[in-house]
Amino acid sequence: MLVFFDTIIYYLYFIMTAFFAFLLLRNLFKREKRKALVYDIVYSYVIITFILRVIGIK
Amino acid sequence: MKNSVYLKILFLVLSGILGILGGIEFVELRNYKETVVVSEDFTEMIMLSEYLPSLKGTWGDTPIYIYDSGVPGGSMLILGGTHPYEPITTVAAYVVMENIKVESGKVYVIPHANMSASTLGMLGNAYPKYFSVETPWGSQKYRIGDRGTNPLDQWPDPYTYIHYPSGQNLAYQDIRNLNRTFPGRANGTLTERISFAIMELIRNEDIDIFFDYHEASLMYPVVSTYVAHDDAMDIGMMAAMMLSATQFPMKIEASPKNLKGLTHREVGDFSDALALLMETPEPFIDRVAGRMTEELMVDGIDEFVQTAAEKGLVYCDYDIKEGFTDPLGNVIIGAPLDYRVGRHLSGTLEAVNWMNMFFPEKALVVSFPGYAEVMENGTGYYLHDPSKADPSRVFKN
Repeated sequence: MLVFFDTIIYYLYFIMTAFFAFLLLRNLFKREKRKALVYDIVYSYVIITFILRVIGIK
Repeated sequence: MKNSVYLKILFLVLSGILGILGGIEFVELRNYKETVVVSEDFTEMIMLSEYLPSLKGTWGDTPIYIYDSGVPGGSMLILGGTHPYEPITTVAAYVVMENIKVESGKVYVIPHANMSASTLGMLGNAYPKYFSVETPWGSQKYRIGDRGTNPLDQWPDPYTYIHYPSGQNLAYQDIRNLNRTFPGRANGTLTERISFAIMELIRNEDIDIFFDYHEASLMYPVVSTYVAHDDAMDIGMMAAMMLSATQFPMKIEASPKNLKGLTHREVGDFSDALALLMETPEPFIDRVAGRMTEELMVDGIDEFVQTAAEKGLVYCDYDIKEGFTDPLGNVIIGAPLDYRVGRHLSGTLEAVNWMNMFFPEKALVVSFPGYAEVMENGTGYYLHDPSKADPSRVFKN
């Protein structure tokens, strides 16, 4: 049973990561605050780490 | 407005290219296989999941190489790669596997005890992915892994890791540290299950003597040391004395009773095996070391560690200028790969020798190259060319 819950939590974290990747992507294109170019770069860069985790590379 | 969208897409594409370039590095390391040519005394290879089926198909499953003489005698288990960022431990295990002769008793070798951790480098710390050992027929390339299980295989870490079964609180990241999860549990995390499976191997196969190969930073007091469980203290002390007098400086420490999760404590407490852990000096993992390069991994020469040594801050002999002389007359400059591999090999042979004297009923008669041979001929001399070997004796890890 412990292994089962461990596995559920493990996959939930991947789902959470995909969700945050989606939020970052949405905020890259649609956001009300911090509209300067530098924030576009930061959003684009930060999203890499989330995508690498979701697709099981890092 | 349109230009702004194009710029965002451009940044996204550039980031994607960076992600792909970085990702290729990780994928390469994750899938790179090392080659080993087992000796003629090799009997069979089984997977760790034979002792715990839930490991099957996971990155926690790892090969166990068995050398059975068919003659009654003692049994030994060697772990390499418990911490894969100490990769000379795996090379030492390979030298054993490629050259061992077993006259009586049975030997088990697990060269990558934590297979998952061995597929995750420490690229974020600017560690190289691989290092090579030169041989008479070319070079052999090996992975430099991480200390803990790959988070791709075990995630997330808790805020506090509560060790099973002691209940002791440990640092959160140690839940992925194979040398903090012994004796493990069958229904635990992946790392706990690896520990449990190794314990099952030890208990089911009646292992008499157990070695866990490690490397340590030179500023860690337990470097160049045996760490022995209470039951193995006598043989450890005798072996350390003999090695220091005849081959290389070797210290011994008693396994602390309250330091939970470590192999030398839990294997001794939860089985009948005589448990020993060995540490060699690895300047590469010293916090003060300079550039993380393949040369540093192989030669162990670092000017910053040298400065620490000159200030009396290291716990073993270290000199990159004139070197130090061992009892055999070899001049050791830095902490080269051959020196570290040789230490593990002779550290094992000497302890087995004393086990045979103290416990004749457990006599294990084995031979493989020791410190003197490796220092004279180099480690690569004892690694065989897979292209010329019988294919049935070539394995990929």
